[in-house]
Amino acid sequence: MSLKLSERFRLSRFIRGEAPSGDAIELNHRRIFIIPNRRGLLFVGLIGVLLLIGYVYGNNLCYLLGFLLAGVFFVTILHTYLALAGLVVRAGRQAPVFAGQPAAYAFTLEPGRRPRPNLELSLRSRLTVELPAEQSRTVTLFETAALRGRRQPGTLTVSSSYPLGIFRAWSPLRFDSPLLVYPKPAEPGAPFPEQAGGDGRAGYRARGGDEFNGLRAYQLGDTLRQIDWKTYAKGQGVHSKQYGGNTAAELWLDLQAASGHHLEERLSLLCRWVVDAEHAGLRYGLVLPNLRLAPDRGTQHYRRCLEALAVFGV
Amino acid sequence: MTDYLPDRLLWFVLASTGLIVLPHAWHVPLPLFGFFLLPLGWRCVGIGRPDCLPGKWLLFALTVAGLALLFSQQRGVFGRDAGTGLFVVSLGLKLLEIRGRRDVYVIVFLSFIVAATQFLYEESILMAGYIALVCVLGLATLITLNSRTPRTGAALWSAGRLIAQAVPAALVLFVLFPRLEAPRWSWLQDTDRARSGLSNKLEPGAIAELSLSGDLVFRVKFAGELPPAHLRYWRGPIYAFTDGVVWQQLPYAGRGETDPAFDTTRIYDYTLLMEPQNQHWVYALDLPYRYPPELRRNGLYQLLADNNPGERAEYRLVSVPNYRTGDLDDSGRRENLQLPGKPAPRIQALVERLRDGDADPERFITRLLGYFREQNFRYTLTPPTMPVKPIEAFLFDQRAGFCSHYATAFVYVLRAAGIPARVVGGYQGGQFNSVGGFLEVRQADAHAWAEVWLAERGWVRFDPTAAIAPERIERGVDIDLQVASGAVNFRTSNFDPTALSWLQRGAQLWSNVDYQWQRWVINYDNASQREFLSALGIQDWLTLAYWLFASLAGIGGLLAWRLLKPLRRRRDPVADLYRRFVARLVKAGLMAKPGYGPSELADQLRRLRPDLAEPAGRIAETFNRLYFEETGEDVDLSDLKRLIDALR
Repeated sequence: MSLKLSERFRLSRFIRGEAPSGDAIELNHRRIFIIPNRRGLLFVGLIGVLLLIGYVYGNNLCYLLGFLLAGVFFVTILHTYLALAGLVVRAGRQAPVFAGQPAAYAFTLEPGRRPRPNLELSLRSRLTVELPAEQSRTVTLFETAALRGRRQPGTLTVSSSYPLGIFRAWSPLRFDSPLLVYPKPAEPGAPFPEQAGGDGRAGYRARGGDEFNGLRAYQLGDTLRQIDWKTYAKGQGVHSKQYGGNTAAELWLDLQAASGHHLEERLSLLCRWVVDAEHAGLRYGLVLPNLRLAPDRGTQHYRRCLEALAVFGV
Repeated sequence: MTDYLPDRLLWFVLASTGLIVLPHAWHVPLPLFGFFLLPLGWRCVGIGRPDCLPGKWLLFALTVAGLALLFSQQRGVFGRDAGTGLFVVSLGLKLLEIRGRRDVYVIVFLSFIVAATQFLYEESILMAGYIALVCVLGLATLITLNSRTPRTGAALWSAGRLIAQAVPAALVLFVLFPRLEAPRWSWLQDTDRARSGLSNKLEPGAIAELSLSGDLVFRVKFAGELPPAHLRYWRGPIYAFTDGVVWQQLPYAGRGETDPAFDTTRIYDYTLLMEPQNQHWVYALDLPYRYPPELRRNGLYQLLADNNPGERAEYRLVSVPNYRTGDLDDSGRRENLQLPGKPAPRIQALVERLRDGDADPERFITRLLGYFREQNFRYTLTPPTMPVKPIEAFLFDQRAGFCSHYATAFVYVLRAAGIPARVVGGYQGGQFNSVGGFLEVRQADAHAWAEVWLAERGWVRFDPTAAIAPERIERGVDIDLQVASGAVNFRTSNFDPTALSWLQRGAQLWSNVDYQWQRWVINYDNASQREFLSALGIQDWLTLAYWLFASLAGIGGLLAWRLLKPLRRRRDPVADLYRRFVARLVKAGLMAKPGYGPSELADQLRRLRPDLAEPAGRIAETFNRLYFEETGEDVDLSDLKRLIDALR
């Protein structure tokens, strides 16, 4: 992929990086930038002092030492470039999170033939790693996910000042590797909708083998709704009501049933319901204005529901 | 700000600073050096027991003490000695305060400055090599600081590589970077240290002391043939005035003398590299004929330099061995006949005996030299002392001495006989370095001889020492033996390369390296740079700048090519070909995104374009064989290329 001339000189390449890539990125001359840092400027000052001593005393060896360090300065540009050049970075599979939680972005670094003694990676957080030659490593950088939706990792800046610390080489990289941020679940304890909105069905009703099947001892994961309060009141312990078939209660979670001042609050509540319903082992369906997911349970269904909530309206 | 610094790094820092300051033990006053050793040792202990390092207040007190010590030793911070002391003391104090990465940088940079100050004291090739090695250690410190898991050997290796790669650029800069003559700021100058050499006065024994010194005085490289040993007289001070014991150079002597008439059928063209000295004399081969404008020749045919004699200097000279100086006027005659009162009766009797009724000066001189030869005189560097009436004592009692005894007695007797004569100081001979093809003249070659004014010939050189010890002139002294034993030893033979032992050859090789080092590195100044650059055809600043940037860019390009080569080799023709193939498919809309494996790709193609199924399968198969099994041949590669190109 080659760049147009105007793209090459765009200032944002130095800071934000080029357009996001879905593929692995190999760091090369196009993506690596080098600039002397403060210590590098101090080093230049040192060379100046040495040349000054040489000048004042007419001493050729002082000159020579100054020139030798000047040579080291030039050579270090190349070596600092080499600290990054040839490194291959790819974005890993990003695990979804709830808004407000730290999002972990994973990246895989392939050092190639050259060891990478001091790589600094920064997203919002920073990390310094050392990679021996030919040994890939996956690193995780955290960023607090504030808003739901698909979030790109932003600009990952890979930098190094190896070997002498007088130059900083950096490469801003952007990856097309979205991380899914679910809505922030509302405070726990929000009751499920008793009355369905929308199509007028009950939010919570029996279906299929829906006649009462008997009681069994309360197990972790049974919802409050299943508890047979009568037996509990009689002091016979906590029991859950069992319904016919292999399905328990079926729950329809509808955006319209969720109360709230604005959409985010209602999505947040809906999210809480999905989490609770999954944890309660219920079968639940999701109803959004543009989407209807039939009741089901299990990780796959759970993810599908949360994803629908995450990307709703964005 | 306190960073975590591993112990290994601290050892690196302490070792490199310690080694950089070490040679200063010979230059810096002992209290200051001790003041550096104290924090160094303290810090070494502090690695194992960090709690015993000084706190803020103690450090402050130490700093005040260091400054007080500095002022008491140097009375200031300017000048070479004081500045060096300042850097050494502050480096020591900084060692006690290493808290973060920043401090390590300050220490390493300071130690580079201290390394440079070493060169203000010693410019030998060995010191340069030593400092280069310590610089490797300094850079290794920084590399260790910038690695996560530093390994000592790897850090040293990388630092050495960095320095080695920096050398070409450093050399280009050294040659082409404009040298400017610095103004001589008096506050930066230190008083010259005592240096040995000929002095304004000739006293018995003075030359004997020099004869026990192997120090180099100057080196001469001849453009043409080497003058024979008996013509190698390097002219220095002229001692014309005597009080009977001490002979002195007259500041105003020889005013009335004219330019000599030179017989230029035989000339010697040579380059003289003078070591630093405390006089302004330039020891030219007798007599200097042509010389650079910064030198002047006085009426005594001596060459004088006006610039600072404390620095090494190189001159291009031409001398002519055959010459005739002009007449002597009355004041010159009086100066060169001067004696402290009437000569002693014994000397007058000797003069009468030698004159033998014949007034001809040349025959008188012959008889006087014959007297030295026949009357049991001997040549020795350790004659008995003759504190009173040294001439008489030498001529009649002791009859043992070396060149200055013979020359002064010779001149004294001639003057007593009414023949104008004077003593000439300088060097005689020199050792030929067969490796570098130059003569090395050392203090032990110091010599004194005589000049006699003869009516038809002007000033003529006579060397009475040659009458008693001709080997001194023909073969030269064996300096190493002489310096070692204190007795004069003449070289067993004239220069004969096959007779040299490997040890001598090694010594010659080394002194040749040193000579080239002095000439081309230490002594490369404004003037020699201009000469060198104009030989390259560089006349103005613009051309110089062009050359500077062109050669630096060339070196940088070569280095980059060398260093980046391993990166390029990663490119694999098979992978390149495959990438091209995938890109073509993507463009044709047959694939969603790059990154498919070859077999997946073949499957996809089989589904979308059944007509291409067969070649796609073969591409996948060939590719897999080439790329993953690494058993492919060049035939396969061209096969793959053909297959891909055929795909439309």
